[in-house]
This record gives sequence, structure tokens and C-alpha cells, in this order.
Amino acid sequence: MSTKLSRVCGVCGIVGITCIGLILVGCSGNRTEESSQPKVAYITNGIASFWNYAERGAKDAAEEFDVNVNVQMPGTNAVEDQKRMCQDLLAQGIDGMAISPVDPDNQGDLLAEIAQRTRLITHDSDAPESDRLCYIGMNNYTAGRMCGQLVKEAMPEGGSVMIFVGRLGQANSRLRRQGMIDELMDREPDENRYDEPSAGEIKGEKYTILDTRTDGFDFGKAKAQAQDAVAKYDDLGCMVGLFVYNPPFILDAVREADKLGKIKIVAFDEDEKSLQGIKDKEIYGTVVQNPYKYGYESVRVLAGLARGDNSVIPENKILYIPARQIRNDNVDEFRAELDRLSSEASADTDNPPDAKNDASTEKSVTES
Amino acid sequence: MNASDNAPLLVVEGVTKRFPGVTALDKVSLSVSKGEVLALIGENGAGKSTLMKILAGVQRPDEGAIRVDGRDVSLDSVQSAQASGIALIHQELNLSGNLSVAANMFLGREPLRFGLIDTHKIQQEAALLLERVGLDVSPETIVDALSIGQQQLVEIARALSVDARVLIMDEPTSSLSQHETERLMEVVKDLRSRGVSIIYISHRLGEVKELADRVTVFRDGKNAGDLQRDEINHDRMVRLMVGRDISQFYARTPHQPGDIALEVQGLRSSSHPACELNFRVRAHEIVGIAGLVGAGRTELLEVLFGVEEAASGTVSIGGREVALRSPLDAIQAGVALVPENRKQQGIILEMSVRTNIGLAGLRQHRKKAGFLNQGQEARDVATMIERLRIKTPDEHQVTQYLSGGNQQKVVLGKWLAIEPKVLLLDEPTRGIDVGAKQEIYRLMDELAKKGVAILFVSSEMEEILGMSDRTLVMHEGRITGELLRDQLSEEAVMQLATGRLEAVAS
Amino acid sequence: MKKNLGILGILLVVFVATAIGNSNFLTAYNMFNLLERASLYGIIGIGVAFVIITGGIDLSIGSLIGLVATLLPFLVLDLSLPLAVGLIAIFALSLCVGLTHGVLITRLKLQPFVVTLCGLMIYRGIARWVVSDKTMGYGNEVFSGLKVLVGNMSQLPGMSGVSWAKHVPVAFLILLVLGVISSVFLNKTIYGRYLLALGRNEQAARFSGINTSLMIVLAYVICSLISGFGGLLFALDYGSIQPDSFGNFYELYAIAAAVLGGCSLRGGEGSIVGIILGAALMRLLMNSISMLGIDDQLEPAVIGIVILLGVIVDELVKRFAARRRAIKQAREVGA
Repeated sequence: MSTKLSRVCGVCGIVGITCIGLILVGCSGNRTEESSQPKVAYITNGIASFWNYAERGAKDAAEEFDVNVNVQMPGTNAVEDQKRMCQDLLAQGIDGMAISPVDPDNQGDLLAEIAQRTRLITHDSDAPESDRLCYIGMNNYTAGRMCGQLVKEAMPEGGSVMIFVGRLGQANSRLRRQGMIDELMDREPDENRYDEPSAGEIKGEKYTILDTRTDGFDFGKAKAQAQDAVAKYDDLGCMVGLFVYNPPFILDAVREADKLGKIKIVAFDEDEKSLQGIKDKEIYGTVVQNPYKYGYESVRVLAGLARGDNSVIPENKILYIPARQIRNDNVDEFRAELDRLSSEASADTDNPPDAKNDASTEKSVTES
Repeated sequence: MNASDNAPLLVVEGVTKRFPGVTALDKVSLSVSKGEVLALIGENGAGKSTLMKILAGVQRPDEGAIRVDGRDVSLDSVQSAQASGIALIHQELNLSGNLSVAANMFLGREPLRFGLIDTHKIQQEAALLLERVGLDVSPETIVDALSIGQQQLVEIARALSVDARVLIMDEPTSSLSQHETERLMEVVKDLRSRGVSIIYISHRLGEVKELADRVTVFRDGKNAGDLQRDEINHDRMVRLMVGRDISQFYARTPHQPGDIALEVQGLRSSSHPACELNFRVRAHEIVGIAGLVGAGRTELLEVLFGVEEAASGTVSIGGREVALRSPLDAIQAGVALVPENRKQQGIILEMSVRTNIGLAGLRQHRKKAGFLNQGQEARDVATMIERLRIKTPDEHQVTQYLSGGNQQKVVLGKWLAIEPKVLLLDEPTRGIDVGAKQEIYRLMDELAKKGVAILFVSSEMEEILGMSDRTLVMHEGRITGELLRDQLSEEAVMQLATGRLEAVAS
Repeated sequence: MKKNLGILGILLVVFVATAIGNSNFLTAYNMFNLLERASLYGIIGIGVAFVIITGGIDLSIGSLIGLVATLLPFLVLDLSLPLAVGLIAIFALSLCVGLTHGVLITRLKLQPFVVTLCGLMIYRGIARWVVSDKTMGYGNEVFSGLKVLVGNMSQLPGMSGVSWAKHVPVAFLILLVLGVISSVFLNKTIYGRYLLALGRNEQAARFSGINTSLMIVLAYVICSLISGFGGLLFALDYGSIQPDSFGNFYELYAIAAAVLGGCSLRGGEGSIVGIILGAALMRLLMNSISMLGIDDQLEPAVIGIVILLGVIVDELVKRFAARRRAIKQAREVGA
């Protein structure tokens, strides 16, 4: 019996295994490498619509500069996912990698590993301690201050402010938050200052920062925290969402509580709902980055480096992509720009959208 | 009534059913006419329950024919059996305790009105049926609130609700009180007079004598003989059931009682906290505990084995008082239990004979740091397999595939390996064939001879009568009497078991 | 054993298919990474196996990992305690967690699912609260000694000259040692036998004089201790700990590895080799998906499908075996 049994087991096993093998090979069949093109990778720090614009930019640049780009977005266990994705890409052999590190301070080992094996640049969130060749992104501290300016405009007589952000581990969100706090407190610019979120209220002359809430990219939690804040503070003056998905949840919460106008909202990034909110005057304004350009510029720089052209890197190794303030008066214009971007990109035109020609090497407006 | 009424309504002819490892039924036949009560008797494992499951459409026969009204029927599902007018009332009740009486009676075939259950109709019809079986409860009563006897009547009412022409009752009185039993007998007689055919399976030969128009006896999965109404008497039935004279079957030799091995004083179990139990069992002695199901016999054994903690009282083993908080305590005091529910509590079905026999003795096979002495274990297990004549291909056979009798021997083997002073057996021969039964009796006798004190619970009258040196009878948690060998009779036991204290002997 | 052969077969086919699909797959660098990941997940898989063998489940593993990983830097860096004290504290914590689970399950007869589900939420909440969601890091000098645990074997004392040691992660060595100890415990000691027996039929085991409660508590303690240790390794490897997400879903990966490796969630069954292979297969699949350029988004689906296939094949084989046995016995009886 046992011989026959094992034979059947064997047959079952072989059939199943062969299927898996075929599936694997089948899936990979159309993606075999084109060895002539340099291969570069673009790693985000999460999954968001923001990164979809960046992906578009990266792909447009890949076409324009004739490289093969692999865009990967880590899930909720972002540190682990980034490590695995980077290692797997390195194992495959690539000519350059742009990464937005989740926690640059503690991902030193990984960044060193990447820098040792390929050309490393950072985007969106910098890791100045690492051996990265270049940083592409905005100055988050400056952007934070721009955001603070919007809060001041929305609430000129002063009041209390709540901040909502995905994580505070990464430098970009920390700087963004700090810039905003410093602007509201009217402090001198100092990127090294850091107010612990656990320290409680921060009181200035006119403005009070009540609290900072993090949600770890858990959207359910992001929404609940916005609702809880509206419920908890009667006299809440302004809610600021620092990550792309925060403002829409804040808007929902304020709208549900029927406190539109009473609680001001200031956004960050360009979620469609945020923009509509600005158009409807429910949100005062937003500070937008240019994710398309992060992707585009990252791939352009990596393509240059892969072909031995080191001139793509500016002297200070930082390529600032300036942020912009969007208010009700220029929101239509900005939306049109975004529409053009996505439609042109999806139509696969050869002409790069003009949005990306404006600032490739120029410094950020407010950078000192 | 006309002549055709005497033609058999249900005929079973040459039915054979095999299970892995055992032929449960070997070309058995029986027949029952309209308005006839046929008693089907036989020892446990004789194949009665298997045949009943076949008739109820739960299992399918390997060979043979079943005819209803002279037509061959194929009973391949419960529905088709019901359609043929056959209904089975199970030994274990099949009611959903959380639903009402009416809901249970119409479970699976609820009349609908506008797509919803027609509660009104159900209640009405249920009330009628309850009246027919003489059960005076509201159809809305939740079944859990009924006594076992009342639940039995609900089952019967349910069978009647499907217009059953043949009603199979599998040990209907095994859990009933005397009063409930009498009530049930009335219901059966009433049904017979209405032309319902009844196959009545029972161990209670007294009931059989009172009710049956005819008796069919099974032994070892075969027909052992039939008795007509005027031939029915106790001795004939027993002889057909066991296949020889009782004295030969129950291998009991006289024992000289030794020192007190087990002494129970003022013991109250948590299931019957009002009843105080006092008794002793000596070495070399076999003491039977008789009583109805639910009399608290199993609970008593569980207290003695430390499964349930006693509410109060003391237990002494070999003259030393012991605290029994877990089976481990009991085992270390020298007590072993062969539980009633073998497959749940006695063995681990999915594991090998060796693992099972070795389980209780593992501590003795321990080497340093808890490592298993596998060589020693293997030798002990091999000895035990030989000593108990366990029929198994090898020690690695999974116990699931052994017959009930051999599984029971595995349970016994597990305990003999640790040489207990007191052996508790709960329904030791339930569900095993006659051959294995005899071996277990022989083993009990042999152990008693060696000085083990044996306390066994049995619902089989013949077993109590055949094996015990002394019998304790329990009723509703208390010991209602003690019968010495020469006082022992079925009538005496039944009177004590049903709580007629005035008849206490000794 | 047969089941282990099946999963080993799948492992080999995926391995070979990936090696053919991408020549970089077999590089020492990739093999090292793969071995390290498989080892880390294998270790927590072994932990949960003890619990699964008793017929229980531990859903709190991921949160416990998150808590342990968060607490160590908190104790050592924020509270400036010595590293040794920090380590003792996190292991003591793991032990207490296991003990609590076991006692609640055996004494109060709560269901393991419920107890550990609550654990999942409680430990996560505590981890986040203790450090106010602040990202914790293992970049500090203090931890550099511990980092040997997630390095390669040439960093071990006396191994620096050995040529292959550079290509073998220390975590793999840990997995092997833990695997051998667990295997011996399960198969060669009476306690292992007790665990298997009570996992199959707790009542019968108790009726055989086994202190089943004690053994169940022991299983949960072992599971939590190994989880805590695994959490330390993961933390050292990734370096950066987000208290709100670190370790999320690890319990499910561990349980999936155990199931792939032949553990029955009904209890009483399980082989350590199988669990290690199960964990390895999952990590290999993730690597293959990346190596072969299959869309990253499909990854969870592919893993889910492979586990499902494995379980289905196992069930079919079992049924087939049961039927054959029945036929054979019927024939023997008939003859």
C-alpha cells in the first residue's frame, strides 16, 4: 500500500509543483531583461496617490533617457519591506537606486549596503549621514514654514492647532512639522530644533499647538483620529494634515461635525479631495510638492550617473524641488496642470510635460 | 383488519455490513408485521445498532435486501427511509436543546407561510402529537428544560409526525425512571393498537417480556434465533444472546476478599451534593455498580479518579487517605480508570497502539532530563500486546483502525502497565464484540485473583449478575442498596435502581 | 514525513525555476539574504508550532515582537539601563506574557484565539504608548555587540578565517540549533509526547495522568519566549522600529509556515523540519516574485495561493490514504 500511496503523493506533488513552476515562469516571461538599457530602481516609503505621480515622472524620465526603471512601494511594514525590496533589487544587479528612506537614522546599515553595491540617491526624505550621491526633494523645513504661513492667513487672530501626520520617524515629516511649529511660534529658522510630540501643548503668543497625532499609514486610524480631535476640543481653531491622505479625513470629520468654517483646515500635498475642498473654500490652502518631479529627476540623475555623467549632480549634492502654496485663487490653475500631467503621461507622449522643465537645477525659493 | 395485515410490513433479508476491521452484520434477517412489537435483543456489539442505522438510511448495507410492503426499497438517505415510513429514535437523543419542542419536531421540514416559518401551524400540530404520546408540556417549551424521559417522548412524537409506520426504538428506557418507563410502555402499547409496527431494542429483558409479540436475537452480527410470544422467557433469551450458559460466559471464580483497598467515607460529588456515599472495596474483590443512566455512577468513578473534585468526604487507598485533585493524583495513589467514553477519554484515536499503551507509564520510562527510554517502552508495550492478546498488525498501528474490543484492551494495557491497586471500569464492554467481552471478563477475574480491587459500572444486567462478587445499586446519586452474591437477581437490582427503597435487602 | 517531501519538492521547483529565470538569483549575496530571512521567520514559526501542536493558536506574536523591539532601545537608550538589564527585562516580559496566556487558557478556560487576540491589541498599544509612537532605533553603539546575531558567521569567535562562514548568516545557525533542540524535545522526551498527545485528545491525556494544564502553559511560554527572541533578531536586522507597525502580521506568517509545514490547527501534529521548510518557502516565493519581475502587488496573492494549494493537496492525500486503508482492511476481513 505504502508504495502505491507514495506514488500517488508523488504524482500529485509533481503536478502541483509543475503548475507553480509554470505560473512563475509564465508571469516572468514577458519581463525578461533588456540588457542594453541601464537598470535603475525607484523606491518609495509607502503606498499613496502621491507616489503614483512620482511613478509617472520616473517612467517618463525612463523613456526619455532610455533606462529601465523599477518602481517599488513598500506596504505597512515599510522598514522591512524596503530592506527586502532593496536587497532583492541589488541581487538582481542594478545600476542605480533612488530611495525615500523611512527612517534614515536607523537604516544606516541598509543605505550603506546599497551605496556599496550601486549608485545611491535619496529623494523626498534625505539621509545626509549616508553615502548617497545626491538628494532630490524639497526642503521640508521650508515647506513646513510655508504651511505655517497658510495657518496664519487662515486664522489671523490666532487659536489652537492640531497636527495630523502619518509617521514622525522619517526626517521629512519631522522637519515639515517643525517648520510649521517654528513659523507659528515666530522662531528663527533652525532645522535642528525638535519639539517632542509627547511634550504636550506648545504655546506661542497667538497660536497653540495642542497635539500631534500619528497614524502609521493606517487610514482607518487617520480618520478616527481626526474625528476624535473634532469631538475632543470644542475650541479647536485649525487642523493641519501633513501627509497627503490626512486632509481629506480631516475635511470629512469637520464636515460631519458641521463645523466647516469654524475649524479651519490647512492641507499638505495635492489629494483630489483636498483640492476640491480648496475650491469649495472648505480648506484654506495646501502646500504642494512636486512628486512628478521627484520621480522624473531621480531617474534623470540615475540615468546620467549610469552612463558615467557625473555632471547631473549639483555641487552641494542637493537638488531642491520647490514647494508651492495653493489657495483658492490658484487652485484651478494647479488642477489643470495636474490633469495635463496625468492625461499626457497616460497618452504616452514623447513631449515631457512642461511642469518638469522649470526647476531641474534651480534652488528652492526660500532656501537660504 | 384483513388478511393482508398479517403479511410482514418490513422485511430485512440477508443484510451484510462490513466496516474496516470488522463485519458488523453477517446476512441477518428479520421481519415485522403491521401492529406488531418486535423486540430485537443481543449483547452490545451484536449488530443491532448497525442494522437500525441501515433501516434509518444513515448507513447503506453491503449486501442484502430490504422490503417494505413487499417492494424492494433502497434506503440511501434519512429522507428515503422516512418516505418508506421508517423512523428511528436514537439511543442518544437527537434534539436541539436550545429550540422549542415544536421546533424540534418539525426541524428540517418546517411548513412555510409567505416564506416564513408557519409557527402557528407547527404549534398546533405539535400539540396534537404531544397529546398522542401523553406528554403534557407546551409545544413552546425549550427542550433543555425537559427531563430525559420527556425528551424521549418528544422524539417519539417527532417520529409520529412523519407518519412513521415502523418505529425503531433503540434502548428507549436506558435513561428513564421507573415511572417514565411505565409511561413509555403505555405509549408503545397504544401505538401498537393503532397499527404502528415497532422494533424495540432493549437490554431490559423484563420490558421485553412485557411488550414483545416476538423476539429476534442477534449475536456477533448474525441471527441467533427467534422466540414467539409464548416462548419468551428470561433464560431462553439470555442463552440465545450469549450463545452458551451464563456461568461459562462470565469467567468468575470465587475470590477471598483481602484487605480494604478502597474506602469511601461521606463522599459527596458536585453533581449530587445532597447524597453522601460510604462504601469499601477489598483487594481480590469485584464490585459492580448498577443503576440507571444518570444515577451518578460515572460521576462517582470520576471523583474517585480525580477528574471531578469531591464536594466533601474522604477517600482512602490501601488504608491511606488521599487527596484526589487530578487524575495524576489518583494514578499516583494506585487508581486507574477505564472510562465509559473510550474514544474521547480512553485512547487517542489518531495515535499508535504503542503511544497509547505507553502514555500512562511514560514517567517510568523517563531517563535523565526527561528523555524517553524508547527501548524499555517498546519492550513493555510488546509484553502487554501479547498478554492482552491485542489483535493488531504491529505496535505502530493507529488505534482508530482497531475494533472496539481491541481498543478497550489498549486502554486496559495502558493501566496494567502501571499495576494499579484499584481498577475502576465504566461500562467496560460497551460496544465490543462477544469474544472480546469474554476476554475482558477473564482479565477482570485474573486481576482480582492477583489482588486488584475492581469497581465496575455496568448498565448490562447480565454483566452485573455474572461478574460481581458484590453489587452496589445507585439511584439518583445515592447508594440505595448493596446486594451480596446470593441476593443478586434482576428484580432486586431493578427495584433498587428505580428507587423502591422498601425492597432493600441486607 | 511525506508532507515534508511535498513541500521540499515545491521549494526545489520554485528555486530552480527562479534560478533559470534570473541568473542573479544564485549569487552569494542573494542566497545570504534569503537564508537570513527564512531563518528569522523560521524561528518564530518554531515558537508558534508548540502552541499549534496543543491545538491552540497565538495571534499575539507580531505585537509581542513589536513590544520587545520597542522596549529594548527604550530601556537602554531612553532610561539608560545597562544592556544586560534590558535583555533580561524583555525576556522576563516574554515569559510573563506566555505564562499569562497559558494560565488564562487553562485555568479560566478562555479560548486561545480570544486571549491572544486581546494580547495582539494590548501589546501593540503598550508598545506605542511607552514611546509615544516614536521610531526606535538600533543604530546606537550599545547594540553593536548584539548585531553579531544578525551578521554572518565569520564574525563569530574563531570563525574569521573560515571561507564559507562569510556566506552563512548567524541567524541560520540559531535556527539550526533551535530546530534541533525543539525536534529532540518534541520527539525524544516525554514532555514532547505529552504535548502531542494532549493536542490530539486533551481529555484522554488528562485521564492518562498527564498534567495537561501545565503542559499547555509550557507551550505558550515557549512560544512567547521564542517570539521575544525572534523579535530581538528582527529588530537588530531592520534597525528601525515603528512601534505602530513593527511585527504586524508576523503571527500570520508564522502560523502559515507552521500550516505549510504540516501542523494541523486541530492540534497534535507538527514537524519542526516542515515548519522551517514552510517559512523558507514563503521567503523564497517573495524573493522569486521580485527576481522574476512579477508585479509586486501580486505577491500576497501568490503566497496565499501556494499555501492553499499545499493544504488542498495535503487534504486530498490524507483522504486517499484513508480510503485505501479502508479498502485494504475490508479485503483482509473478507478474505
